[in-house]
Amino acid sequence: MTPQNRRKSGTHGAGVGMPLQIRHAKKEELAAVADLVVRTKRLNAEFDPLFAVVADAKSRAEKYVQATFEGSGRLLIVAVEGTKVLGFMRAEIRERTFYEPHTEGFISDFYILPEHRRKALGNEMLEQASSELKKMGAEIIVADVPSQNEIANRFYAKRGFRALTSLFGKAP
Amino acid sequence: MTKRPTRVDYSKKALKYSRFYGGKVGIAPKVPVRSLDDFSIWYTPGVAAVSKAIQADHELSFEYTGRWNTIAVVTDGTRVLGLGNIGPEGALPVMEGKALIYNYLGGVNAIPLPVKVGSEEELIAFVRALEPSLGGVNLEDIESPKCFEVLDRLREEMSIPVWHDDQQGTAGVTLAALYNALELTGRKLRGSRIVLFGAGAANIAAERLLVKAGADPKDIIVLDSKGILHPEREDIDQLMLKNRWKYDIALRTNGDRLTGGLKDALDGADALVAAAGQGPDMVKPNEISAMNRRGIAFFLANPVPEMLPDAAHKAGAEIVATGRSDFPNQVNNSLLFPAIFRGALDVRAKTITDGMVIEAAKELAAFAREKGISSTYILPTMVQWEVFPRVAAKVGQAAVRDGVSRRKISPKESFDAALGMIEHSRKMMSTLRRSGAIVDPPE
Repeated sequence: MTPQNRRKSGTHGAGVGMPLQIRHAKKEELAAVADLVVRTKRLNAEFDPLFAVVADAKSRAEKYVQATFEGSGRLLIVAVEGTKVLGFMRAEIRERTFYEPHTEGFISDFYILPEHRRKALGNEMLEQASSELKKMGAEIIVADVPSQNEIANRFYAKRGFRALTSLFGKAP
Repeated sequence: MTKRPTRVDYSKKALKYSRFYGGKVGIAPKVPVRSLDDFSIWYTPGVAAVSKAIQADHELSFEYTGRWNTIAVVTDGTRVLGLGNIGPEGALPVMEGKALIYNYLGGVNAIPLPVKVGSEEELIAFVRALEPSLGGVNLEDIESPKCFEVLDRLREEMSIPVWHDDQQGTAGVTLAALYNALELTGRKLRGSRIVLFGAGAANIAAERLLVKAGADPKDIIVLDSKGILHPEREDIDQLMLKNRWKYDIALRTNGDRLTGGLKDALDGADALVAAAGQGPDMVKPNEISAMNRRGIAFFLANPVPEMLPDAAHKAGAEIVATGRSDFPNQVNNSLLFPAIFRGALDVRAKTITDGMVIEAAKELAAFAREKGISSTYILPTMVQWEVFPRVAAKVGQAAVRDGVSRRKISPKESFDAALGMIEHSRKMMSTLRRSGAIVDPPE
């Protein structure tokens, strides 16, 4: 007698073969993107206690994403497979009061789910966001990451970015 | 009929005898000293010629010295038995015991060597520096996840075998037990749903070994204290930064994307390997009942298994194993590590590959099958010492096959070498006892 399997094997990996898209986020993806925002902030918390994440991060993230949808000069790009959001990038256009060039595309958040990393997805998202930000008037692209996040630092350095400012912090 | 000794009895005896003998092992001569003149051979001036020969060809240190059969049993004392971080001094009696088992069951000259180190790097540097004196290193009782980094680095950087028994040893014996449990229940490794409960040294190594042995990683589910590992678990980025071994497992296992706890994992599972901590209620009857019929459940925590065998059988498990000698089916590292090093040392291996461990597991399982496996006998027992040279020979041959041996010998030579060394150790013990050089303990 062979064991009776309640579960069939060989049916893993739902969503395999679905087309991968990098495009603007849709309103109905708000919750999924907000979840990734929280993950971004939790990841930052690993690098410094001054990035400890608030308890109601999820609802704040939803408002944050909502505001991004509504505001002008803001960009919200997602990588999507079928209906699954694999990663997102949020950016906005900012004025540089005293410096030339005058207008920057500021990448505030960038996150890709672990199993979709190291597959050039990040590169594609950055390129697409850069060209959109350029159309929106950005003359330079800047990105904000924790100083201790070596993976993020390497990601940007490898693509020709250089460190511009250092933000120092301590409890008073 | 005599009463079976209790744990308390053993503790009392251990304290009393340890003081009586003042240590369990010591270095013994291998050469005769016929007169003091012999020291001119074994030591200066004669020995200089041997030194010069080795200086010209370091590989000769495996021929002209005891290096080929010597290993160090190294620990930093950070996770000793179930006692936790008790420090290197506290770890010494354990390492002595391990060295004694290596000697008696494997004919291996093992040196107990707990060390006081301040960091992971210091431990790695220390072990690396021992290389010229050793044929191999047994790492022991080092806390997780430090043990993974230490083992991976040393395996890469040293050209002698480095073995961490809490990882590879436990994983190897578990695989052997699983082979026979699967056989008895009409299953194969591939196609079986295997749940690993606990993501410490043993199960992290087991996952890798199971996959190397042919299990489908998508059909393996691993749980730590926070539940099922999967690629989107909330703490996944934390794992990436703090425990990349667990992180990698979260990404490559669990093809069905199960989430939740042990019951969710066991629903429809074929086998459970629990290495999660002291029982007897770590695993509950309703969790075992969720498994497929003819379920296999191993509870490896010592001294109290995650669930007691009786309870597991009642909940529906057919084949149950534990780490304990007073229940059937003891998953005992001692079945493996003496033979692993015996085989590796006999061919002067440069490392111990996963392939060598899989061959050892297969031979352990084959030995039990020849004796006749049943739900209460899936592994050889410690008294069946004939299994050691057989496993050693397979390990040696796997090293030759995998191209990691310094010496190429035939299967028969491998077996004869191992048998000779193990018999020699047993003979030494009986000779020393008979002559009174080793006396029996006082009553």
